Amino acid sequence: MIRIRVLFGLAALSTLLGLWLAFTAPPDALQGEYSRLINIHVPSLWLAFLAFGVTAFGSVMWLIRKRPRWDRLAAASVEVGVLFTGIGLVTGMIWGQAVWGTAWDWGDPRLASTAVMFFVYLGYMALRSAVEDPVAKARRSAILGVIAVVQVPLVYFSVNMFRTLHQTQSIRPDGSTMPDEMLIAMLVNVVAFTVLYVALMAARIDVAKAEEAAKGEEMLAGDAVKPPRISEVKDV
Amino acid sequence: MSFWSQAWEIARVDLSVERRVGETMRVVLPFAVVSLIVFPVALGLQVSFVAQIGPAVFWALGVLFGMQVALRQSAADSPERRDLQALVGVDPAARFVGRTISGVVLTFAFLIALFIAMVVLYGPSLPSASVPALLLSSSLFAVGLTELGTLAGEVTTGLRNRNALASLIVAPLALPLVIGASQTLEALVRDESILPWVLLMTASGLALAVAGVALARPLEEAAR
Repeated sequence: MIRIRVLFGLAALSTLLGLWLAFTAPPDALQGEYSRLINIHVPSLWLAFLAFGVTAFGSVMWLIRKRPRWDRLAAASVEVGVLFTGIGLVTGMIWGQAVWGTAWDWGDPRLASTAVMFFVYLGYMALRSAVEDPVAKARRSAILGVIAVVQVPLVYFSVNMFRTLHQTQSIRPDGSTMPDEMLIAMLVNVVAFTVLYVALMAARIDVAKAEEAAKGEEMLAGDAVKPPRISEVKDV
Repeated sequence: MSFWSQAWEIARVDLSVERRVGETMRVVLPFAVVSLIVFPVALGLQVSFVAQIGPAVFWALGVLFGMQVALRQSAADSPERRDLQALVGVDPAARFVGRTISGVVLTFAFLIALFIAMVVLYGPSLPSASVPALLLSSSLFAVGLTELGTLAGEVTTGLRNRNALASLIVAPLALPLVIGASQTLEALVRDESILPWVLLMTASGLALAVAGVALARPLEEAAR
């Protein structure tokens, strides 16, 4: 509990610093005050990519090791990832309405692919809620977690593959297209959101452990005894 | 039996069951054609605009009803049948490949029939090269969609809300296929190369094939 409080404390401090930098950085000459939304929009989507990558890692590890902690990691990461994808979509739409003149452009592959990513992981959460047995739940969602992550690089590189409304990456190997003050503010927010992600993950994993423990207490005598199944018989 | 013999046998049995049940051509296809009719009626559109939106509506319905073909009830194995296949030593990867082969045949036939219905009902003006391009894009689209449907079908096997859940998983993941297939016809109309779109669908199909074969064993276990 203390560990989680410390993590949330760190997240609060770094987020406050990030917000202060975001509001003290000069506004963009063309976008005006709306350019400050980049300090929430970019870190949110960075966190979503990280979260879905962690889900894929947890899923692969579960398929190899079959340990419940990998399933808890994958499931918790999806929930945080979906939350931050939603925040990224909403902030992007607010910014788009002000700067592009439209909140949603169907011809833009970044918008469409991000929305698709959001719905795929909503499907992942729906699948988890539909399965009762914890092992079956972990196995099915691990398979989906591995398949679903394929679209994450597609979302990231969609702005390079199809040139439409959404601009390409501002930070590239050959340097940044942003002024230093805006860049520093955004990077501090990326770090702050990452700390927040770690704190949310730690809290969610603790809740999952508590839920599992509570379910275990509700078990009746004989629940642990299962009839033999052909799939478990060796030398088939 | 070799891997491919097992896969062909599973595909043959699937197609025999489907020939008897007729779910694709007697249920899904008529429903899709009714949807083709509903679109212009509901939108109250002019004839020229109906012709313009025809190919787009075809691909939209193709993905929605193609999913139903991939997730058809006749291809859903009972736990007893799965146990039997495990007992006789059927390779899970061969089962995935066999199921995909039968699904591709049915989805391709469904798409061609739906396209003919769309041309008759909407009367779009298509370039002369659209027939070979349609055959190519439909076959790649059918491969990708069936692989995706087979994977989602296996992941959701035995669940009460299987069809709705599998559709929720398949529909968003099928987006690269829809983009690739619809843009192939669009590129022909604009007199541009169709190669990028064909490559997009091929890459999607290959990635799903690798995922399906690599995850065949856990998929087999997940269905139990």
